[in-house]
Amino acid sequence: MATDTGVLANLLALPRNVWDSIFRNPLPSSDLARSQTTFSNLFLHIHPVKTHAHSLRPWYTLGLGVISFSLFVVLSVGGVLLMFYYVPSVEQAHNRMLDLNGTVAFGILLRNMHRWAAHGMVGVVFLHLCRVFYTGSYRRPREFNWIVGVLLFLLTLGASFTGYLLPWDQLAFWAVTVGTAIAGYAPVMGEQVRFLLLGDRLVGQEALIRFYVLHVAVIPVLMTLLVAVHFWRIRKDGGLSRPEGLDLPEAQAQFPEALQGKLEGLAPAAKTAKTKTFGVMGIVRGPFNKLGNTPDNTVYSWPNLFLAELFCFALTVLVVLAVALLFNAPLEAPADPTHPPNPSKAPWYFLGLQEMVSYSAFWGGVGIPTLFVVLLLLLPYLDRGTRGTGVWFSRHRLLATTTFTLLLIVNLVLMVIGTFFRGPNWGLVVPW
Amino acid sequence: MSTTLHHANAERDATVSRRRALTLTSVFGLFGAGLVAGFSNLLFFRPRVTYGEPSRFRAGKPGTFPLGTRLPLSRQRCTIIRTASGLAAISNTCTHLGCVVATTEVGFDCPCHGSRFDPDGAVLGGPAPRPLAWFRLAHSPRGEVGVDTAETVPPGTFLQV
Repeated sequence: MATDTGVLANLLALPRNVWDSIFRNPLPSSDLARSQTTFSNLFLHIHPVKTHAHSLRPWYTLGLGVISFSLFVVLSVGGVLLMFYYVPSVEQAHNRMLDLNGTVAFGILLRNMHRWAAHGMVGVVFLHLCRVFYTGSYRRPREFNWIVGVLLFLLTLGASFTGYLLPWDQLAFWAVTVGTAIAGYAPVMGEQVRFLLLGDRLVGQEALIRFYVLHVAVIPVLMTLLVAVHFWRIRKDGGLSRPEGLDLPEAQAQFPEALQGKLEGLAPAAKTAKTKTFGVMGIVRGPFNKLGNTPDNTVYSWPNLFLAELFCFALTVLVVLAVALLFNAPLEAPADPTHPPNPSKAPWYFLGLQEMVSYSAFWGGVGIPTLFVVLLLLLPYLDRGTRGTGVWFSRHRLLATTTFTLLLIVNLVLMVIGTFFRGPNWGLVVPW
Repeated sequence: MSTTLHHANAERDATVSRRRALTLTSVFGLFGAGLVAGFSNLLFFRPRVTYGEPSRFRAGKPGTFPLGTRLPLSRQRCTIIRTASGLAAISNTCTHLGCVVATTEVGFDCPCHGSRFDPDGAVLGGPAPRPLAWFRLAHSPRGEVGVDTAETVPPGTFLQV
């Protein structure tokens, strides 16, 4: 024991000792150390020690959940940085945008990253929703996590929409005027909701401060909470969905990479299973005779899962950075409440709605979207089947897949029409 | 013997029901307080005074509007019209999605989504679901015409001058 070493020796050992006091485990080289690294680190311990090899297949998840979260991190960090220079006042907001371009170091880059990441997040979160739908992953026992996911999608839209107003340019002002007018079509409560949202009858200073508070405090806090629940439930619901019967001995050919030890930290699975020891919690769910006969298709999360996540994160940052360097976020003339641009368009993700609104204000703006969200929320309780879970476009789920795809195509077509084919006076134009 | 037992049971039942009553009262009290708190928040979010453009303003003496006037006021978002029947103020906020309509000789045109209205604000075409609103006019004590853009009147309601 070297507890009574001299001060000089202690000083010399200081960096090493500080490092060791933070990271109690050295880089792991044994299975035990891999487990310890995972569960003794606050940021890693939300992951299980071992992950099913099926969950790591890039073409199964496409990494969309991790990319969504990465974008959320990019937006949170960048957003806080932007808050240092932004002032939510109708006199100053637009000037602050110009200042970001001219006088703040990296200001324009930060704003570009924030803008494009926000657009990207709306898209990626929706693609994540599509992935979960097409693989039937919302089914029992993951019903509640699907609902949390739908709420997170709605919050993402809310975060993006409230942020849209903050630059206080013509685009922002009229997009939010149009967007909140759509909310005003809700029966009975519509005008009240619109008034509460804007704090006035028209978009103005009150609306700006309200949107700002929602954007920088209320929605991010709600999202952080729900994201925590979302992650937690993945573990509690037994990890990501996967096809039934994947862990039966005859399904071993499914995981050649696991058997050949291609994933680090994985001894050939069939061999380890016999000697694997189970905690009590691990065996109460299944019959005892599975023990020793069930192939173990899990791999250690360190490094397999963490490297995959790191890759998704790095890729996300890289793409956002590249887009931000190539394209500037739009900034139009300062908001002029007396002169609407022609045409006035909502943000692109609401243009499908706006296109529908131009046919029927109530059904397009309120009826159909509400129906769609209610259907999404009810989905896991309407579909109680089990066949075809964990497989993309399973033929056992042909009806659900077809219906969803049709709705998707309709919305996409409406969005494309609204974005590219609508000109002055909302008349049809040809964009080329 | 059996009476004592029965008595003891009754006593215990009474005790349990008292506890139950207290529990229920507490639960209702707690959730009631929560509801009231939630409702008070709704009130909190509904401003009693807004800081934007005031809804009431004076448009000027009636004599400043000769017959046939169609004067758009961009700040207040309404158009003062003067016909043989009298004065009226028609909203310039499109009933479709809240854009500002342009006042023309033959009616109102919305630049955003192409809604068209006749000189009285009735819908001629486009996606607008309702005619433009008419605001309440009144003679102010100073002999001017007062407009209240927070109060609508049925279309065709003129202020006699």
